[in-house]
Amino acid sequence: MTTLATPMPGNEVKSPNWVQWVAWALTIVCLAAGAYGLYLRFTEGHAAASYGSYVPWGLWIAAYVALIGASAGAFGFAAVIFTMRKTEYYGLARLAMLVAFGAFAAGMMNVWLDLGHPFRFWKLMLQTSWTSIMGWMSWFYVIYGLILVVGLFLTRKGVIPKFMERFSWVAFLFAIAFAGAEGALFGVVGARALWESGLTPILFLVEAALFGVGLVAAGALIFGGMNPKAARMLGVVMLILLGVLLLLEWAEYTTALYASVPAKSSAVMTILTGPFWWVFWGLHLGLGVVLPGLLLLFGRGNVLLTGIAGALIAAMGLATKLNLVLPALAQEELEGLAHAFTGPGLTFSYFPSTMEWLVWLGTLGLGGLIVLIGYRLFSLSTPTRSSASK
Amino acid sequence: MADIVQKENLLVRMQEDIRRALEKPEGERRWGMVIDTRKCVGCHACTLSCVAENKLPPGVVYRPVLDQEIGTYPNVTRRFMPRPCMQCEEPPCVPVCPVNATYKRPDGIVAIDYEQCIGCRYCITACPYSARTFDVGYTYTEGTPEQEVYELLPNYEYGVEHARVPGSEESPIGNARKCHFCLHRLEQGALPMCVTTCIGVANYFGDLNDPDSLVAEMAAQPNAVVLKEELGTKPKVFYLV
Ligand code: SF4
Ligand code: SF4
Repeated sequence: MTTLATPMPGNEVKSPNWVQWVAWALTIVCLAAGAYGLYLRFTEGHAAASYGSYVPWGLWIAAYVALIGASAGAFGFAAVIFTMRKTEYYGLARLAMLVAFGAFAAGMMNVWLDLGHPFRFWKLMLQTSWTSIMGWMSWFYVIYGLILVVGLFLTRKGVIPKFMERFSWVAFLFAIAFAGAEGALFGVVGARALWESGLTPILFLVEAALFGVGLVAAGALIFGGMNPKAARMLGVVMLILLGVLLLLEWAEYTTALYASVPAKSSAVMTILTGPFWWVFWGLHLGLGVVLPGLLLLFGRGNVLLTGIAGALIAAMGLATKLNLVLPALAQEELEGLAHAFTGPGLTFSYFPSTMEWLVWLGTLGLGGLIVLIGYRLFSLSTPTRSSASK
Repeated sequence: MADIVQKENLLVRMQEDIRRALEKPEGERRWGMVIDTRKCVGCHACTLSCVAENKLPPGVVYRPVLDQEIGTYPNVTRRFMPRPCMQCEEPPCVPVCPVNATYKRPDGIVAIDYEQCIGCRYCITACPYSARTFDVGYTYTEGTPEQEVYELLPNYEYGVEHARVPGSEESPIGNARKCHFCLHRLEQGALPMCVTTCIGVANYFGDLNDPDSLVAEMAAQPNAVVLKEELGTKPKVFYLV
């Protein structure tokens, strides 16, 4: 435990500590659950899932956007550190790149398994439609994945090449475009009043940054890569982002409610008072905003509290995205549709099936495994410095 | 209009309209439908004939009939509204498809290339009319003592034979699916199945580009409306109210 609070100039970390062992154990449990989920996914297909025709996207898509957003946020964070030459946080930035890669892989796994034809995924890259944001995103993913792998490889010895420092602002801009486009994926869907808003891509950007930094703080707690100074910096960043997020949500929800256009206000009411009201009030607002906010406010510079707050923020990112994806879809687009014809999937209510939960856990396990192995593979425990300081 | 309804066999006339349209190049046709809600009695025959024609599995429906209640008790009336795909002139489902699997044909029908579709369901979220459903892979009698053979018969949507292999992810399983105005019948000169089956001849179908066609005549009636006009999707399915 002492390793957690030890000031670490150069970010050298001592590992493993007991938190890491817990992380390993959780990862293995998740992977085991995921293996069974995967078995169900490929033997029973989508029939074992709860999403269908009227609510075509469910837990996996929410997890995918949450994870990809967090990944872009963590990556953007690393890019800012390198751009600003904040050498004292270089170790944290490397960790950020690694968790970005883990979250990216987990997110991709979620969306891949969600496809009706997973083995046709290559069409996304080779037969892309450029009128579709999803088409653009698929190429963004390829480029992004490559940047992450190359970045991790080049910094594997703990030395940040000069050109990386010089061109990290490009990577930062890419992270913004990437996270914003993820929001545009929803923002352009005119049929869903809750999504179609100029604020959606902005909201995605802020959420991405928040979940990303949260993930980095959680990772730093696990690997002991955070000193009080870093904790203070991360805490301030998260507090600011939490404030902006609240402001944007307030703007989005109140305008929808006061405008009273039923298509949108009913979706907002579903979020606030529907059968899953606790996802918004309890998970998102309570555990994802208020509690971490308090921990950060009263535990400024405290490594443990900052790490826990980060973990809460990152974990509750899923609740935030569930509230984006599901209530928008759970609205009857034409009156009478719900009862016009019945059958599996022809319903506006949704709760993830066991198979969905298991697969989702498995994808988290995959992300965790990548981070835990990558930590050793890319020697993240070695001190990090700029090549300029040779 | 009363004359038309009483003196002509509407189905025969529409059949003739189709024959004329098929003589034109594909790009000059504009298939459309008019549904007379005053004649619809809510029997769901069209829904079921569509299910039979396209061998739709559980969870997939192309043309549900919405049962809408108007007014408050005791002053209530009911209205039935069949809802096929609107074959929008400006279809929001097309540009969102990341692999061009959904496209608008020159004759205006919005089609899905089943072999191209990756099953991402983005189009389902983008359709303002919920006209698309996801084929998860069910059959009606799977898990019962006997899997009925008729469920495994191929369908011929888009003029292509699609076998149904439960448990696999072979198209159309895993695809988004939707009404296509029975294109496979249309190209053989036959009316869409729902139009043929409707017990009250509440559906008019044909080439909206042909001013002499019954459908064009009906679509021009002052009481013809489209759903969600404000969205600008320009549906080619009209309702007489
Ligand atoms: S009704 Fe829906 S599926 Fe049909 S063309 Fe319009 S947007 Fe596409
Ligand atoms: S489900 Fe198929 S048709 Fe629909 S957007 Fe995805 S690839 Fe295109």
